[in-house]
Amino acid sequence: MEHMIDIVTVLMMGTSLAVFGLRQYKLSILAYSLQTLLLVTVFLLLHVKYGAHELLIWSATAFVMKVVFVPLYLLRLVKKLGVVVEDEPVGGFFISPVVALSFSLAIAMMFYKVFMHFSLFQDDLPLFAASFIFMMGIFGFVLRNSFIKQILAYCLFENGIHLSLALMAYNSHELVEVGILTDAIFAVIIMSILAKRFHASYGSLDTSKAVNLRG
Amino acid sequence: MDILVLILIVPFVFGAIMFMMPLHFKVLQNTHILLSVIVSAILLSAVRKVVEGNELSFFHHYLFLDSLGAIFLSLIAITGLLVNIYATTYMKWELEEGHISLQEVKNYFALSFIFTWTMSLSVICNNIAFMWAAIEATTLASVFLVAVKKDKKSTESGYKYIVLCSIGLAFALYATILLFSAGNGKVEGEAMLYTNLLAHAENIDGMALKLVFIFALIGFGTKAGLAPTHTWLPDVHAEGPAPTSALLSGVLLKCAMLGLIRYYAIVANGVGFDFVQTVMLVSATLTLFVASFFLIRQHNVKRMFAYHSIAHMGVIAFGLGVGGAIGLFAALFHCAAHSFTKALAFCSTGNIAKIYGTKDMTKMGGMIRIAPLTAVLFGIAICSLVGVPGFAIFVSEFLIFKAAAIEGQYLLMGIFALALAIIFIADFSHFFLATFGKVEGQVVHNKEMKLSENLPLIALAILIVSFGIWQFDSFTLLLNESVKTIMKQ
Repeated sequence: MEHMIDIVTVLMMGTSLAVFGLRQYKLSILAYSLQTLLLVTVFLLLHVKYGAHELLIWSATAFVMKVVFVPLYLLRLVKKLGVVVEDEPVGGFFISPVVALSFSLAIAMMFYKVFMHFSLFQDDLPLFAASFIFMMGIFGFVLRNSFIKQILAYCLFENGIHLSLALMAYNSHELVEVGILTDAIFAVIIMSILAKRFHASYGSLDTSKAVNLRG
Repeated sequence: MDILVLILIVPFVFGAIMFMMPLHFKVLQNTHILLSVIVSAILLSAVRKVVEGNELSFFHHYLFLDSLGAIFLSLIAITGLLVNIYATTYMKWELEEGHISLQEVKNYFALSFIFTWTMSLSVICNNIAFMWAAIEATTLASVFLVAVKKDKKSTESGYKYIVLCSIGLAFALYATILLFSAGNGKVEGEAMLYTNLLAHAENIDGMALKLVFIFALIGFGTKAGLAPTHTWLPDVHAEGPAPTSALLSGVLLKCAMLGLIRYYAIVANGVGFDFVQTVMLVSATLTLFVASFFLIRQHNVKRMFAYHSIAHMGVIAFGLGVGGAIGLFAALFHCAAHSFTKALAFCSTGNIAKIYGTKDMTKMGGMIRIAPLTAVLFGIAICSLVGVPGFAIFVSEFLIFKAAAIEGQYLLMGIFALALAIIFIADFSHFFLATFGKVEGQVVHNKEMKLSENLPLIALAILIVSFGIWQFDSFTLLLNESVKTIMKQ
């Protein structure tokens, strides 16, 4: 069981690099869907290992909302906008994943030991993965110029937080998870509406063109 | 029915009702004003119960209203109501000038109730995760109050708002999770409840609390507009409609600050006040000087007030940094003083933009002759913002000086005075540019607004002067009780 959880969380880390680095939107969204499926698997494994029945409900809601709904919604958005490949990120397609990967690893290395000290579940690799995925999301916002990629970056760090929540606060009131998940879903929907407006105004999804308000 | 349940339900239901209203401006306008009055009455009746000595609680203490929350709830009620009334006038002008459609006006009115609902929720949440979710929801509810139009600038401001605030608040969520797990088993009762965490803060690991506070400062500080994560604020406040800017600056920033103050109280009582005060002072000093520097360069009246919002969030942080009973009292008083002042400032920019058809102050001038009442209201906002005696903000800034003097922190007094001096010079030069002399650009509305249109602004001006010269017992009681709660006296 221990190894299973470790293997799945390592796969989650791999998929976060795929979400971040893949140039084709469709593949990137599918990688996110896969990552969330792995997140659901971690919830189920933690449920089996620790008997945490709360995580059973979490896995069901996460599956419906994040494995199915969000990816479908984003795929529809991409299709509607008629975009296939993302705009060039900061530092180019090769440099930006390397920068994100190295800095995320370093920061996760720094923080996971602190989290480990207080975590309800003392699983070191999943705690490390949670911090790593969160930071990959943050770097996604900083380094990728595409609006869609930034929505996916939001989804990434939300997955990191969701995993942290499961490991560190699974026994909090069920409404806590519902509240956080609802916010995340609405954030994706609102960002998608803005992405459509952005595409209509600027003729592209390149957010580096948003310089009209500087001063 | 419990008053907290009403707060939880009524604004949301009113938002839904507004969405279903017919597309008729007069109907929308009157309904918006009527429902806003009802919401404010509910909020103020909850505040009154707290003033009378009751601590309200509902749903296993997940929702509560203490004296600290009551201060902020009264801001939502009073500032929110006056700005919402002004919004009906502002939207009428926008509609007449063809800048906006009737459907967009309806959506705006409906969303402003949802926005009020999320802000009220953030104030009455005792569960720190619910509080986080409510503060994040304030961003989601207000995105389309900012990005009302579908043009480039509007879309860009909406994009920056949601992206930067969401990133910032993600750190606050980490602070929440870490605080819960560090407090789990160390506090009596549920470790997600603010009241439990505060009551047993000394049992929680000190290192964890310090990390929690840093994360909370990044998270809520981003939303509150503290430097260096303030960059979304000037763009969003400058681009949104005047009533939106007034609501964001006058109320929303304070709700985020309340989130930070609640973490401040827990961490201060866990690891001692020295740590949180030092962190707040660093953040406040940086914020004050960054805002002052950019303030000097601004010629866009709304952008100038946006940098003012940042500067005054720095003043609140400075009060928390100086600390002690007087410093905390001053910081909380400043929340109210700045709320009224900034609501008046941004609403007056709505009038000014109607007169000149621009927000560029170098193309204004002679406002005192064209629209004397608007010029006076604009002047009152400026006088309060720079801390002229007799206006609300003077009281809190004076008290911060007093708190620093009592503590013997003369260097801090010097830093604070320098920052305020820069703001003073920048503001008055801008004020004279717009108000006196000859008109530099064109005048598109060469007369004063109707008195009925200016009534909410006059009410805000009266509040600013009243709070500057008068001590309201019930408000002072709330402030004193809040200080005692934070200091656990």
